[in-house]
Amino acid sequence: MKVPIETKVNNKPYKLEVEARSTLLDILRDELKIKSVHRGCEDGECGACTVLLNGKPVCSCLVLAPQVGGAEITTVEGLLKDDELHPLMLAFVENHAIQCGYCTPGVIMTAYYLLNNLTEFTDEELRKGIEGNLCRCTGYIHIIKAIKTAKEYKDSGNWW
Amino acid sequence: MTQRERRLISGDGFYVDDIELPNIVHCVFVGSPYAHARIKSIDVSRALKVTGVLAVITGREVAELMDPLPATSNYGAIGWHWRTPKAYPIAVDKVRYQGEPVAAIIAEHPYIALDAADLIDIEYEPLPPVSDINEAMQPESPLVYEEWGDNIQVHLEFNFGDVDAAFKEAERVLPVSWHEARVSGFPIESRGCVASYDKVTGMLNMWSSTQAPFLGRQYISSALRLPTSKVRIVAADVGGAFGNKLNWWKDTVVGLGSIVTGRPVKWVESKRELFLTGSHNRDVTWDGEVAVKNDGSILGVKAKFLKDLGVEGTNRGSAAMGMVPACCSVPNAYRLKGVKIEAYGIVTNKSPYCAYRGYGKDKGIKFMERIIQVVSRELDIEPEQVRLRNFIQPHEFPYKQLTGYVYDSGDYPAVLRKVLKLGEINSWREKQGQARKQGKYIGVGVAFVVEPAGVAAPHCIYGGLTQARVSITSEGLVEVESDQTEIGQGSDITRTKVAANILGVRLDDIEVKRDTSDMPGSGVYSSRGAIYPTGALIRAARELKARMIKLAGHFLNEEAAHIDITDGVFHSTKDPTKRMSLKELADCVYFRPGPRGLPQDMQAKHEVLLDVSASWFSPNTTQNPTSTYATYCSGADIAVVEVDVETGAVSILKYAHVHDAGTLLDKDVVEGQIFGGIVQGIGEALSEELVYTKSGELLNNSYTDYMMPTAQDSPDIVLGHVETLSPFTELGQKGIGEAPPIGAKVAIINAIENALSPFKIRVPESPATRERVRKWILESQGG
Repeated sequence: MKVPIETKVNNKPYKLEVEARSTLLDILRDELKIKSVHRGCEDGECGACTVLLNGKPVCSCLVLAPQVGGAEITTVEGLLKDDELHPLMLAFVENHAIQCGYCTPGVIMTAYYLLNNLTEFTDEELRKGIEGNLCRCTGYIHIIKAIKTAKEYKDSGNWW
Repeated sequence: MTQRERRLISGDGFYVDDIELPNIVHCVFVGSPYAHARIKSIDVSRALKVTGVLAVITGREVAELMDPLPATSNYGAIGWHWRTPKAYPIAVDKVRYQGEPVAAIIAEHPYIALDAADLIDIEYEPLPPVSDINEAMQPESPLVYEEWGDNIQVHLEFNFGDVDAAFKEAERVLPVSWHEARVSGFPIESRGCVASYDKVTGMLNMWSSTQAPFLGRQYISSALRLPTSKVRIVAADVGGAFGNKLNWWKDTVVGLGSIVTGRPVKWVESKRELFLTGSHNRDVTWDGEVAVKNDGSILGVKAKFLKDLGVEGTNRGSAAMGMVPACCSVPNAYRLKGVKIEAYGIVTNKSPYCAYRGYGKDKGIKFMERIIQVVSRELDIEPEQVRLRNFIQPHEFPYKQLTGYVYDSGDYPAVLRKVLKLGEINSWREKQGQARKQGKYIGVGVAFVVEPAGVAAPHCIYGGLTQARVSITSEGLVEVESDQTEIGQGSDITRTKVAANILGVRLDDIEVKRDTSDMPGSGVYSSRGAIYPTGALIRAARELKARMIKLAGHFLNEEAAHIDITDGVFHSTKDPTKRMSLKELADCVYFRPGPRGLPQDMQAKHEVLLDVSASWFSPNTTQNPTSTYATYCSGADIAVVEVDVETGAVSILKYAHVHDAGTLLDKDVVEGQIFGGIVQGIGEALSEELVYTKSGELLNNSYTDYMMPTAQDSPDIVLGHVETLSPFTELGQKGIGEAPPIGAKVAIINAIENALSPFKIRVPESPATRERVRKWILESQGG
């Protein structure tokens, strides 16, 4: 069964006919070809498919496509300014926080949300904030460091 | 920033799931609900009627169209007790573990394939399963392979040095037992591949999430009865591997699916399927005794070693072979007189077993580090003192270990002393005493690991092949290619830096090519990347540089001895006006004037290309299967934990690690490996465990109930380095990657045991979950 929806992804409006049983993850990847959204566990446990839905991080595998009618969705692609990397992304590269890269876009979206919504945080709060994003390569150490670097960028006005 | 980092941070991955081809269809495997059952009949007619289903492949088809899966290792060839069953990627007559594929559905969409999966009618005759290794060894046990008559796939006996003399000299003999639960890497990206068969050329092109495309080609072509030249595999971006992507048995079915349907086929494994069909690792039991003197000198070890291989561990991976390094790694960093081990690899109705970070060596090392803990405890000598007393000393390298391993270099006392300082061990021991008075249980754990790295084993597919190619394009850019597949360990960064340093070019001028099966080489495993493919790359780059310098001298009219290159510009050290860029040189060599204008001696030797390939092999690798590694890095760990005796919860108060990986090729990359490895080790120590029921059902087949560490479980880690160069590698570098999870796991376990010493608890097994810790405490109180 097909359901018509209108949605905005990375500020671009789309009119779609989606399968009732398809997920937001399915339509982002298969219909809109947004490949930063990674299929991890399809269980809501690993966070590799994290996107912002109306500004809040969600596992796109747990959201049915028909539910996103009228919603605004942001993915990693939406943080790029033309081809320029977002300061948060740059901080990940500078701190060697990308290893296999599979969890990275999901972590970026969660971190982007945290940085935009918390003015100050302790290491413990940061760890709690990203605990929904599993990473098997880094032990999270370089990721934490990268998010702290990104906070410095944000505090110095280098942010969008 | 490498091109790969730029791509991945922007979301431009080339993971298997990202690959699109015209007319692509999808493969979904259907697994058995039973752990052990005979397949009486399969009827796929209802499934085939579903719109969008192209084919259903069952055991019938694979037995007809494929050869059995090739054995990946066979020490039967040297007379060992080593069985290699006849196995297919889809069950033919009976299923031997829960989730074993009984069919593969090829359909227009994965959801259509899943719909059709429910319509396959299979009649099973359930058989009694065996999921316990001790039961599997009983004569009346159900048999996984009836034709064997028992469940023993491998039986090995190792007798290194003079164990009888060691035990004769002993002042104390202490019993030591240790069990590790079944775990695995379970990368965030599961396995997967795309296969596209071209009828016209007869080529099967594949893109795979793999650690070793060249080995994969060998394996897949063998099973599909194709010449290797008709199979080509490109390594896609790999979303984590950790040993789990060193098997291609399901890929063979995807290839067959493309041949049968004439369409490109994509298979992206679900997480549940990855958990259920493996590969798994660990699940070993050691029972032994150690001979010691009262001063803490360790003389010898005798042990029985049992490994639960699940189903056949040679055809779907190289599981049984891991028993060899497990036994040979027992002496670890110490001078011993004798080690005797009897090892059994047992098959049960559990998932296939294969590599996971540590592979086999981890098991012997952890056993020895538990032995040190026992010696420390029983003789009341601090664990670091026991180690310092027994260490191989810095002046003894290269050191021929009892087992035949030739340790290249090291300064174990320096590594240990440095970690004791970084971990502030004395101050923590003081705090431990004070905390006990307040009813808090703090424990300090130490571990030391010598990691054999860079295997080159005989009679198996992991023979140590490697190749690197370095070339200059016509516009003066550098292309680097080798079998050091990028799997998230950082091989793109390392290769870029190594090549740029040797050639004297800028990092931005280097392009690392994607690894393919065209490049002969065994890929990445056994921490070999920094040793074998890097060794080949260094040799190729050095030769290419010599050629470049000679040519630059020719065109600049200067002696080669006076030519240098910096940031991609050649210049004369005598006359600074004589300069040319690599781009200009490339243009000279390729076109203007081209080969006809090159020095005559180079023409005569046919050296007219800016393109060099090279290989590398360890000088210490022999045909002896017990002497097969190239380098031996070392690492030391200090873990300080607090155990809440009411809840059984363990929290990590301090973690320090010191590593000696020889020359550091890239500090960030090495540290990324170390941090990731330590946290994996912590997961194994505290929470990760695959739980099978007696009937062979896997109870936890997702991240929901298989507890991998989250950011909240990962501690701050203090890190230090020592660099003793390996005399056996090109730059003194050593393999790095597997020591950290080994040391972390055993340091945490030792710390827990130390914290619980007032209860006189002997930690018998991992993981130390809250439930187990509580159980140990209750048992110690007679409860």
